[in-house]
Amino acid sequence: MFSARRRGHHPSTHTPRPSALAPSALRSSASTASPLSRRTLLGTTGATALAAALSGCTGSLGGGGTADISFHQSKPEVIPYFGDLLAEFNEENRGSIRVSHDTASGLSAGFARGNPPDLGCLNYNYEMVHFQERGALRDVSDVVNEFDIRPSIQDLVDQYPTYPGRTSVIPYSMMAAAVLYNEEIFAEHDLEVPTTFSEFIDVCETLEENGVTPLYSTYGDPWTVAQGIMDYSLGGAIDVAGFFERLHAQGEDAGPDSEVSFSKDFREPLEKMLQISAFSQPGAASRYYGDGNAAFARGDAAMYFQGPWALNDIATANPDASIGIFPLPMTENPEDRKVRVNLDLALWIPEDSNHPEQARELARWLMDPDIADPYNQDNLAFGVREDSPDVEDPRLKDLQTYVDRAAFYQGVSKAIPLTIPFENYSQGIVTGQSLENTLRTLDEDWARLARR
Amino acid sequence: MTTTTDTATRPPTAIDGAKGTAGSGGAARRDPRPRRVDRTHFMFLIPALVLFTLAITVPAVTGIFYSFTDSIGFGEFSFVGLNNYLVLFSDPAILSSYGFTIGVALSTVVLVNVAALALAIGLTSHIRAKTALRTVFVMPMVVSGIIIAFVFQFIFSNTLPAAAGVLGIGFLEESILANPSLAWIAIVLVTAWQATPQAMLIYIAALMTVPKDVYEASAIDGASPWKQLRSITLPLISGFVLINVIIGFKDFLATYEIIVGLTDGGPGTATRSVAMTIFTGFENGDYAYQMANSTIFFLITLGIALIQLRLTRGSARI
Repeated sequence: MFSARRRGHHPSTHTPRPSALAPSALRSSASTASPLSRRTLLGTTGATALAAALSGCTGSLGGGGTADISFHQSKPEVIPYFGDLLAEFNEENRGSIRVSHDTASGLSAGFARGNPPDLGCLNYNYEMVHFQERGALRDVSDVVNEFDIRPSIQDLVDQYPTYPGRTSVIPYSMMAAAVLYNEEIFAEHDLEVPTTFSEFIDVCETLEENGVTPLYSTYGDPWTVAQGIMDYSLGGAIDVAGFFERLHAQGEDAGPDSEVSFSKDFREPLEKMLQISAFSQPGAASRYYGDGNAAFARGDAAMYFQGPWALNDIATANPDASIGIFPLPMTENPEDRKVRVNLDLALWIPEDSNHPEQARELARWLMDPDIADPYNQDNLAFGVREDSPDVEDPRLKDLQTYVDRAAFYQGVSKAIPLTIPFENYSQGIVTGQSLENTLRTLDEDWARLARR
Repeated sequence: MTTTTDTATRPPTAIDGAKGTAGSGGAARRDPRPRRVDRTHFMFLIPALVLFTLAITVPAVTGIFYSFTDSIGFGEFSFVGLNNYLVLFSDPAILSSYGFTIGVALSTVVLVNVAALALAIGLTSHIRAKTALRTVFVMPMVVSGIIIAFVFQFIFSNTLPAAAGVLGIGFLEESILANPSLAWIAIVLVTAWQATPQAMLIYIAALMTVPKDVYEASAIDGASPWKQLRSITLPLISGFVLINVIIGFKDFLATYEIIVGLTDGGPGTATRSVAMTIFTGFENGDYAYQMANSTIFFLITLGIALIQLRLTRGSARI
């Protein structure tokens, strides 16, 4: 059992986190050919308890000077893609580096055991902040400088709490999300893409008068509310990063009645949001992400608040659907329009990595334009370098100018520690709970967290 | 965790018993051998003891230790005394998750036991295709909870409202999962659907221990079936009822995947259970705080386990 571990086949086999239990994750983990044999899996799982106690056996220099490093990447949709890339890398570096693809182990557990992956390639969100903030990640500013990453995109990393004096994270791939709309329906009713809030409401009213459902909503899945209508409404109306900076600056004084608070700053945009959400189809509270993709592909509604990740499902359901995308206007000034972005993938190297140099080498290899650019084109994402080519997918082309002008924001839902059930609060607000009370609860949660 | 407690506490009692008989019985028979316990007993005991210590006791004690710190699961930490506990008791989200969890567990226990006993009585009576029916009723037990939850999510949000629309049952036309004050009912129903078979099996075994002649005797005395159930069956299987209630209650307190699949804690925060709160915290660097929460949760479960030990000692021996 231990020999399997020492050879480093799979240094930290772990049961997948239940958060990975979404149907898509189940499907893709089943379809992905794992390099792991059943016996090793069982053996390693059995050994985990003992291994935790005897954490000495984490070194992994195999015979012949080959360094075994582990690469953590668990975004379900691109596991096969990265599997192929790593096979290529292993072939090029035969005899010096061998990478194993870790797609399932629990990150927190890995860090807690002092056995994190050597190179991580994950969605950059609040989960990562704890590692970054406490200095568990190495400085990678040399790689960032080498590849001439857009400052506006590197700034996204710094909008979260960071470790002083360090660049801990290399952006790899950025996704931009906005309102998806059915171009045919818009054309049929002679509608232009709205550029101000009142134009948007006019569009919705025209559609409704013509018997078309303006908006398809899937309020049954809390995350779709938070990442969709909630983030779009707030991001289009306020300076998200600035708000959180001022909120953090208040420290323990935060609360419903403090100078900066959710109750004060979110109230007006969210009242507008409720105006928008009223244009949803009936029964939205018991419709889910899958329902939404299918219904929007069929043309059941004119607009849908989802990200580019839904485009593949929509295209599968209806290859002829003609989908466009525009940022949700929340003010009367067209210049205020912004798109929601997130660092869909970002690279980092833990302090506890046993082979930081080899990990750096893999990071450089992945950052190479020949590898990174095709990845971003293939996966509906935007490149992060100054000289990254423009996005080619016709559905996303309209967003390129916003990315170039840095007219973007990271979603509010991704700036709130996940211990505060913000997604559930969002769902509550759109399904009829009191906006005022929910914002007050949010303020109190935030204050309670600041005091701990 | 608590089931392991049972198995782990039982071996020592068995050994104690064995020691007692070996000692006193041996003395009575003037056994020439010195008084010592057969090594075999230890060989049976040690694997369980080692695993239990490594996999349960050590992590639990470590966890309790961390609940007095501000640790995020790794790296540096400092001691914060009882701060986590103090914040915990003033956190409305935590308190409401306890209220919700205990409420759901109690309702589910009642529902499961009534349904399981009814099924068990039916399936031990003289009916056709008994074995086939038993197999059918046991099936929910072998299906994974998350799958059951997703299937029922579909039923509650599509099938049921459609059926209610046709039949004109107004309040069911909107999915009950989308209704903050009714969603818990869906969770109770689905949890009970999955948990009933296990309780049913225990009740079937229980009913087989009741001698036939007491029923015959009472029938001669003119007791109605209802009277027989109340005055003969229930008292004679009371130990099993107790086991089902206690084990069930502990299990339902820890309900997790059914809720994740059905409502994900929603609508709003109406169905967030304690286990969900703890898990979200672990995942997101709120380690020490949720350790404090786990410790409280553990103490509650421990209390129930102790009550169970107390009661089973008092009532019928099984």
